Amino acid sequence: MEKVDENKERAENKENEENKESKQNRETSERNRIVIPIGPQHPSLKEPSSFIITLEGEKVVDAVIGVGYVHRGIEKACESRTYIQNLYLIERVCGICSHTHSTAFCQGIEELAGITIPRRAAYIRVIVAELERLHSHLLWLGVAAHEIGFDTLFMYSWRDREKVLDVLAEICGNRVNYGINTIGGVRRDIDSEMMQDTLKMADYLEGQLKYYLDLVMTDKVLSARLVGIGKLSREDALKFGVVGPVARAAGIMDDIRIIEPYAAYDEIPVNPVTDTHADVFGRTVVRIKEMLESLEIIRYSVKNIPDGDIAVKAPRRIPAGEVISRTEAPRGENIHYIRSNGTDMPDRVRIRAPSQANWQGMRHMLQGQYLADIPITIAAIDPCYSCTDRAIVVNSESGTEIMDWQGLRQYSIEWYKKRGIDVSLVKMPERKFYA
Amino acid sequence: MQAEQEIVDRLCEEFPFLKGRVHVQRQKRIFTGHLVKEEFEQVIRYLHNNMGFYKANHVVGTDEGENLGFIYLLSNKEGIMLALKEIAPKSDPKINSMTCIYPSLERHERELVDLFGAEVQGLPEGPSYPLPDGWPKGNYPLRKEWKPEYFDKNTMTYNPPDAGNDKGKR
Amino acid sequence: MKLLEKAINWATRKSPWIIHYNSGSCNGCDIETIDALTPRFDLERIGIIQQGSPRHADILICTGAVTIQTRDRLKQIYDQMPEPKYVIAVGTCACSGGIFDGCYCVMGGVDSVIPVDVYVPGCAVRPEAIISAVQKLLDTIGESKKKRDSNAKSLADSMNNNNLTRGMKNNTENNAENNGQDGGDLCAS
Repeated sequence: MEKVDENKERAENKENEENKESKQNRETSERNRIVIPIGPQHPSLKEPSSFIITLEGEKVVDAVIGVGYVHRGIEKACESRTYIQNLYLIERVCGICSHTHSTAFCQGIEELAGITIPRRAAYIRVIVAELERLHSHLLWLGVAAHEIGFDTLFMYSWRDREKVLDVLAEICGNRVNYGINTIGGVRRDIDSEMMQDTLKMADYLEGQLKYYLDLVMTDKVLSARLVGIGKLSREDALKFGVVGPVARAAGIMDDIRIIEPYAAYDEIPVNPVTDTHADVFGRTVVRIKEMLESLEIIRYSVKNIPDGDIAVKAPRRIPAGEVISRTEAPRGENIHYIRSNGTDMPDRVRIRAPSQANWQGMRHMLQGQYLADIPITIAAIDPCYSCTDRAIVVNSESGTEIMDWQGLRQYSIEWYKKRGIDVSLVKMPERKFYA
Repeated sequence: MQAEQEIVDRLCEEFPFLKGRVHVQRQKRIFTGHLVKEEFEQVIRYLHNNMGFYKANHVVGTDEGENLGFIYLLSNKEGIMLALKEIAPKSDPKINSMTCIYPSLERHERELVDLFGAEVQGLPEGPSYPLPDGWPKGNYPLRKEWKPEYFDKNTMTYNPPDAGNDKGKR
Repeated sequence: MKLLEKAINWATRKSPWIIHYNSGSCNGCDIETIDALTPRFDLERIGIIQQGSPRHADILICTGAVTIQTRDRLKQIYDQMPEPKYVIAVGTCACSGGIFDGCYCVMGGVDSVIPVDVYVPGCAVRPEAIISAVQKLLDTIGESKKKRDSNAKSLADSMNNNNLTRGMKNNTENNAENNGQDGGDLCAS
């Protein structure tokens, strides 16, 4: 009996000691934990959002994301404006993917009112949507390159983006917020000169895009910065409900253009682009390949656009009912819910922008990453560009330090330089001739 | 349309109370009527576990006069979207969080709390979203009776005119 | 003291550093502001550099209507900037609240929170208009307040004539042929 007791006691003592030890470990590790609030300003490009990142050493343990700085109350405002006024308000939900929002809204109302738009209008919507995808992805490519310190590619891709904006300005009359959609069709027709310019741009851009794809696929320094960063496996992608290139990079084909063809996509061949890397590299490849696919869609629609009217007359009062309208935005699935009560103003408008879905996976993607990988991981879901707000590095031992987003970006570039990965030294290879 | 009708038939078979309250609106769209909390939870769990609705795209909050409506948009592999509606009275707007089966709903349900004043039970802790810091409690901007013109942004107070006395002032 | 002021003004006029802040914009004006920094327009060739920290900046370029949540941040940034400081409100929303006026989270234009020196209307503002606004602002640096006020009207007029109408003209012309010229004119003028 005594022996058992002794054993028990010893075991208990051991347990206590272990507990103490692990407690001490935990305490020291908690003392070593650093909390970095970043944001909330992302003044250069996208919506401001704030991150509170907890670090252990250089690894991210937790990330809390706060969004809502640009909450303006658009949905409430929609309820006190007419449908035509709302069309222009909804176009300004986002300046980068404005066309996809106005398309989703128009489609919904057309469905409620029982209008079929002319085929020519549907084709014009497709052409503008694909041009928008091109400019948005090129913008993203530049931003991502900037975040890893590869400013040459940033300047290259933004230079090419200007060509797309020129065509958009020519077709729609504005570089941003195109205003081409109207309820019942489109507002401007497309003429042969515009088509020629569009095709010319497509030829130029195809060469450039193949060149970038080649660069990303072959360059070792770039792959060292991109492969394995911001992993979000297929299972997790399904669990968090991410959309667009983030989901497609994980092998999930969720392209609304194929699942539920809208506008003229039912007549236009769209090849799905997916990848199995499920990381930042995969997202980059998916976006570049998607741009090449967009060029094919543009070429096809320009060649096959039917003649006819560009709009039909729509009633001012929309019959009562409710509708869910979906489009494929550059960042993924975009959902509009519209409920009408029979007047000229909607009863309820709800907009689920794709980024809203992608934020869900962010926390998971950041966990286990190095601090140096945060800028590119956050940039890879395409939400932000830079952040001039100072971030306060709170260290319980040494007091408070101040570090801003650019500091973090610089830190990340230096961190990799020390490990022999210097993206700024990547030379753009001589441009091959792509037929 | 066949796949959609099959889903409707199967749901009606499993849940007799759904008979006549679920319909195919058009291709790839199924709408249900407003369900109360208990009915709603049975159906959503069944859809998730047994019918392959793996993805919850969104939750739409609506104002139904005396009640609050919540429309859960679920979709399956074929891209069929099912709008499952729940209803709760404004006087007692309690619903259960569905983040346990659809983790992607967290942010959307948080919006219901801020904008509609729903009490979502079981929602993981986190920062409020999307209203600004210091927003006065009890103000739910997307409810129909809340009018933006009575909200003073400088003092962050809501001053509705008294129905009888101040009618002419505003 | 006056000499020092003169020296500062002279230096600012030669190479102003800008900071860009999105106070609740739709991103449209933001991407156009970044566009102004990239090869086609290239602000850097006329000495304008974008700065990350407000403590180093001379000019605050503010886009978008001011939301309640960003109001205090905007004030903070403005307070952190060293004197002399200037503010450019870029876009119709930044000028007056624009299409978002009346939304429950929108305070109104930038001038409802901080004083504004130059207003650039447009939705979205073209990069040429932003460059021109900076140039026009620089012309007024060092002038007395009275003179600046009297210049304000003519400034607004000339902006209307030069940029907005030119922007419209560009739309109807074949833009592909104008490559690289848009920014070039401004630089010369």
